[in-house]
Amino acid sequence: MGLLDALQRVSQSPTNPHAPAAPRAFDVADLYRGPLAAPADAAAAGPPLDEKLRQAYFWIVNTAIISPHYDVEFNDGPPQSFTLGDSKSRLTLPSAQSYSSFVLLPLLTFATRRKCLFVGGPGRGKTASALLMGILAGYPVREVRRAMLHGHPQMTVADLLGNPLPADLVGAQKMEDIRIAWRQWLGMRVKIIDEYNRIPTRTQSALLTVMGDNYAEILNHVYECPEAAWYLTANDETGGGTYPVIEALRDRIDVIVQALSFNPRFMVDLLARIEADVRPEELVPRQIVFTEAEVDRLGEEVRAIPVPVDVGRRMEFFASQFEFCEVAADQWEYKTKDTARLAGADWAAVTALETGRDRLKDVGCQSRNGLSVRVLTTLFVYAKALAYFRGNRVVELEDVRQVLPFVLHDKLLPDLDAPFFTAAGNASFRTDRVGWLRRVFDLSCADYDRLNLDRDDPVAQLAAEFRRGLSGVTEAQTRARLVAIERLVTEWSKGRKLYGHLYDDLLVLKYLHQRYTNYLRWLKTQ
Amino acid sequence: MHATLAPSFASFLRAARPELNARFAEARRQRPDLDGEAFARFLREAVDPLVRAVESVQPERAPDVARTAYELGLELVGQGLAGPTARDRWVNAGWMEVAPTAAALVAAAPERVLGALSNALHRLAATPGARPAEWVDAMAALAPRCADADAFLAAGQVAAWRAGMAHYRAGALAAADALPPALALAAVRAPGGEWPELRRRLAADPWFDPSAPAAAGLRVVGRAGAFRGFGGLFAEPPTVAAAGEHFLVRSGGDGWLLTADAFGATFHRAAPEESKDARPSSVPPGVTARGTAVSVDGARVDLPELGEIAGIAANGSTLAVTSPLSHAVVLLALA
Repeated sequence: MGLLDALQRVSQSPTNPHAPAAPRAFDVADLYRGPLAAPADAAAAGPPLDEKLRQAYFWIVNTAIISPHYDVEFNDGPPQSFTLGDSKSRLTLPSAQSYSSFVLLPLLTFATRRKCLFVGGPGRGKTASALLMGILAGYPVREVRRAMLHGHPQMTVADLLGNPLPADLVGAQKMEDIRIAWRQWLGMRVKIIDEYNRIPTRTQSALLTVMGDNYAEILNHVYECPEAAWYLTANDETGGGTYPVIEALRDRIDVIVQALSFNPRFMVDLLARIEADVRPEELVPRQIVFTEAEVDRLGEEVRAIPVPVDVGRRMEFFASQFEFCEVAADQWEYKTKDTARLAGADWAAVTALETGRDRLKDVGCQSRNGLSVRVLTTLFVYAKALAYFRGNRVVELEDVRQVLPFVLHDKLLPDLDAPFFTAAGNASFRTDRVGWLRRVFDLSCADYDRLNLDRDDPVAQLAAEFRRGLSGVTEAQTRARLVAIERLVTEWSKGRKLYGHLYDDLLVLKYLHQRYTNYLRWLKTQ
Repeated sequence: MHATLAPSFASFLRAARPELNARFAEARRQRPDLDGEAFARFLREAVDPLVRAVESVQPERAPDVARTAYELGLELVGQGLAGPTARDRWVNAGWMEVAPTAAALVAAAPERVLGALSNALHRLAATPGARPAEWVDAMAALAPRCADADAFLAAGQVAAWRAGMAHYRAGALAAADALPPALALAAVRAPGGEWPELRRRLAADPWFDPSAPAAAGLRVVGRAGAFRGFGGLFAEPPTVAAAGEHFLVRSGGDGWLLTADAFGATFHRAAPEESKDARPSSVPPGVTARGTAVSVDGARVDLPELGEIAGIAANGSTLAVTSPLSHAVVLLALA
């Protein structure tokens, strides 16, 4: 078997073996499956799509991109952990199949047709990774290369979207007569924009329309783009490009992954590749190329993965930590960081007014903003996608924990003046966004456990009761529910300090109280 | 082994020398442990006899077979599965003892037949309780009777079941149905009779052995498993529970699914959720275990070598018995 063959070999199934559920079935055809691939195997029906996705992952990570980083760690038992160096850095050897975020997140983006930004220094494989995603979608290498958009300071809207045909411009009597030569990339199911932070601001606005609303417009002509996975690259996602990236455009990006450094220990692989003069992108095995229908089905299957209630509750609890800002407003509903931001208030002055709470323990104090609906939606989608990728039937808390830093990477902004970042051992979180976000989630989950919310969550009970519907609920029952809400608020108002999750819970109680009040009023008219 | 290579093999090697050398160099780049001398010995001892055999039946196919064998050999020797440095002898045995007898079939579909042969022996060798030597002998005998590669591979599935792969029972019976009756009978090593009747009995009773058709009643039909120190699976005496038509066996923190019939018993690693349920379970009415003896509806079998029986589990046809003094699971046929 030659290097070319080796580059085209995909990992043997199952790539992530799961314990079979009893009773298990044995297949006599397995007798002839083994280290040598049988010719019949190639003709056999393809594997399930999650298996195919894993095969694609392992082909990329083992063959195409020399990637020794396994930063998305999973364990099915206690992992081996070691402390090294003066700063007591911890190295963990995971006990279960773990993944490289640089390959995993783009693949999940491919499966869910979302938007992924690669960041990192030049020459670290950002563009190569994006290119591979285009090839996985079934496009020839040359076509993907040609359709790739390269950001540059002189890029115009015409460069981005297309041109009206010159002959039509001269002869047309009305706008409809002008034909537009749309750019090829608009029709691709994998869209790649290299160095997007070098695109001028005006052109970024046109790009925003395509990214946000999935259509392009020139001279009243509209081009509807197909659903696509987007890959953008930037040497510096924090605005260090030629032009600052407009906030709305940054907000459209679903996940951010960092291209980590090349490990020189793998130079021998690099050398073999140079000597054999092969380019992995030209050798993508056809077994891991997805048809359009398969990507459609991938999306459907990912969306069908359920999020269990207990996992969802922890996500709710986590999300509720950040928006609350007690001093931002007098009206209850406006006590949010967004209110302070919209008012243009000095952040340091606002936080200086915060008293009473333990700003070190309150995880909400670590951020300067809250989480948008778009971010929460993205978090759900990627958690589902990761569970699906791992071959699981439901989302586990660890799926959420692992994708969360990449989704919130530039969505949850740290308040670096918060006491958390000056506490002993936390200095590295000032620069390590991924590590910080995981730590915040862990702290939130620990708080959730401390409050015993899995077992004692009166708001969840009241909300569940309401969700069962008002049909048939009597006046007496309605009054009883109103009293229950008021009692709970009374109890909470007795000397308890306000935290983000309590604030959101109280908003829910107010909402329920209002719904019951309206219902009671209606009942009285019957 | 001949002192010189078969003429067609020698001429093929000579003609394709630059290409074959390049293939070897590429393979070694991928697998630095690939030893040139070991591969050369594999070519001499395994590939040459095969090419000779093909030459005698279909000389025009010899170069193709040689090329395929060379490619597969690189992979097998590179993985340490064949050649003089192989982890075990079974893949070599398949190439040297079975493949030449199946020369006509190899000539027709070299990659398919040689690949299947290698994979099957790799799997048999890796399955605790299976008997690869028996499979090699059976296939060497069956190969000349197979009309084509399909029949050869189906017969191989039946022979694997017969060589101890009890978990393939259902699939092997289905595979046997696709064979000519005489070949099916030969694959299960039945001394004679009609296939439909034999098949009915095989399907009805997992403990029916065509070579001893008269055996019946409560009787010891097998002992499965052994102490890990003696090459077995169990670190401590196992416990057993019924799991459908199979048994769940637990020893220490590990668990296995035990499949067993008249042809053998195999263990398959059980998932934690499967194995945690492995505990002595209830048995059918009429089954009792006292001291070292098991009784079923008046019939009694004494197992003094086990000592005091501590665990007993049953499915429709089999009792599995364990004790704290033994690392084996004793299997008794119920009828």
